[in-house]
Amino acid sequence: MASHTSKAFLSLGRINVSGLGLQKSVSRLTYGTQAPAKSSVGKKDRGGRGPKTANRKVGGSPRTEKMPLDQDWTAVYPAAATFKAGSVPLPVRMGYPVRGGVPPEKTGNLELIKIPNFLHLTPVAIKKHCEALKPFCTEWPSVLDTDAKCDENFPIKIESSDYVSAGLTLRNPAARVVHLKVKLSDLNLDDHARKKMIKLVKERYCSDTDILTIKTDNCPLKQQNYDYAMYLLTVLYHESWKTEAWEAEKTRADMEEYSWEDSPSQSNILNMLVRMKVAGEGEGEEVREQLLGRKEVQEYKDSMTRLKNEGDNDSTMLQYKEAVKKVLNL
Amino acid sequence: MAAPIALRRELFSLARILSGFSHLGPRAAGACSAHKTCNIIRSHHPLTSSTSFHTSTVFSSTPSSITVTEEPDALFQKVSVLVKGHDRAVLDSYEFFATMTAKELGIPINKVFEPPKVMERMTLLKSVHIFKKHRVQYEMRTHYRCIELSHLTGCTAQVYLEYIQRNLPEGVAMMVTKTAMEKVPDHILEPMWEDQPTEDKSTEDKPSQ
Repeated sequence: MASHTSKAFLSLGRINVSGLGLQKSVSRLTYGTQAPAKSSVGKKDRGGRGPKTANRKVGGSPRTEKMPLDQDWTAVYPAAATFKAGSVPLPVRMGYPVRGGVPPEKTGNLELIKIPNFLHLTPVAIKKHCEALKPFCTEWPSVLDTDAKCDENFPIKIESSDYVSAGLTLRNPAARVVHLKVKLSDLNLDDHARKKMIKLVKERYCSDTDILTIKTDNCPLKQQNYDYAMYLLTVLYHESWKTEAWEAEKTRADMEEYSWEDSPSQSNILNMLVRMKVAGEGEGEEVREQLLGRKEVQEYKDSMTRLKNEGDNDSTMLQYKEAVKKVLNL
Repeated sequence: MAAPIALRRELFSLARILSGFSHLGPRAAGACSAHKTCNIIRSHHPLTSSTSFHTSTVFSSTPSSITVTEEPDALFQKVSVLVKGHDRAVLDSYEFFATMTAKELGIPINKVFEPPKVMERMTLLKSVHIFKKHRVQYEMRTHYRCIELSHLTGCTAQVYLEYIQRNLPEGVAMMVTKTAMEKVPDHILEPMWEDQPTEDKSTEDKPSQ
């Protein structure tokens, strides 16, 4: 029973299956056991799996001892590689210190191997790489040194994101989103077109900064989303210049800003002034028009429009108070 | 022979990685120093190169010259690189590397700052079955670093970002936000209805993509 000395090995045996009438021999895997041939008498019979200590080669001294002081480090670590204690001539220690002692040394230190090292990116190496990369870079035009000049010449801003991470896949679906930002003052729009554009885009327009932001993420690719955003901008622009028939039905509630003409405020002040008989006797259109032309009434109109458009500030309320006092001669 | 072979193995791997640049218009020859030494080594050991390593004919072609195309370069007003990782020391080193690269390539750095770390904590049951009162708590810390660059051309941005991304360490992720600037396109300069106040829908032509 040479169980521990025998070597079991797989052998490909050919079995003739004549009973089934097959011409070719069917090869099947068979197991065969064979006692090892004791050819080398001088070798030690290790029995099981003992360690090979006798024939072990004696390793040389680590490379660090042979490194000159002025060596080219970029040749030792030209690319990203794991930490090799025999190649790094630094007395690095890493890990949790032994009680009352110091962190373990670098030979056989797993912590140093685990952590990514930047030994291949020393300042010398970075300078070398940048020297090689410089011919592929282009210069920024020196004319566009301030943000104001950039905005003036290139008003449309396209924002997009790229993502790099390790995972099962390279793709990141968030990379397809494109933001298109443009200031409406940089587009060629007249008053009606501007108001219509703002009504069309609704919340994509920020009135504080006068920036229209179009965010597209409908299409699967960034290029497609960019094209779609430019298309949307073009369509919005041209549609806002058009005047449809139903736009004539715009009511006072649809207006973006307050206008004093034909407002209840105008009729109220004129009625009051007529009743106070400021412009003398008589009623009718001519009296009202004469009243409208008066300086106090104009001031009142300015203060009312400012109050309604800008809200209740200290300055607007003060202006309104002064105008009312002047109009009613208080 | 061990040292030169190890050196060449690393150089070959570096060049194989760098030769995979496909979307850089001009083919980047990578670290010229490494390339030059590769050529020298190849001339000295022509036989061993083919037998020891399965290298493609990377070095057989001459280094490609830089081609200049007619299409206008893109202009990026701002490029923001946000890196995140679990180890703050790794991000420190990476920030040093990225800022030094930007300085060497002449890219103005707007600001470099560290957004506050985000810790995701979870409290789970310690045992597989019952023992509700005994829990174990884990937390995952994500550190961030943001480098904002300004005033980059398209070519420079491509070169810088590709170099940065090739040298991204293990376990670190990156998000790049680019703000490109463009002129107002020609078809938005003037409204097209000016000559025809009463237009009809059939004559509208939507601009081609």
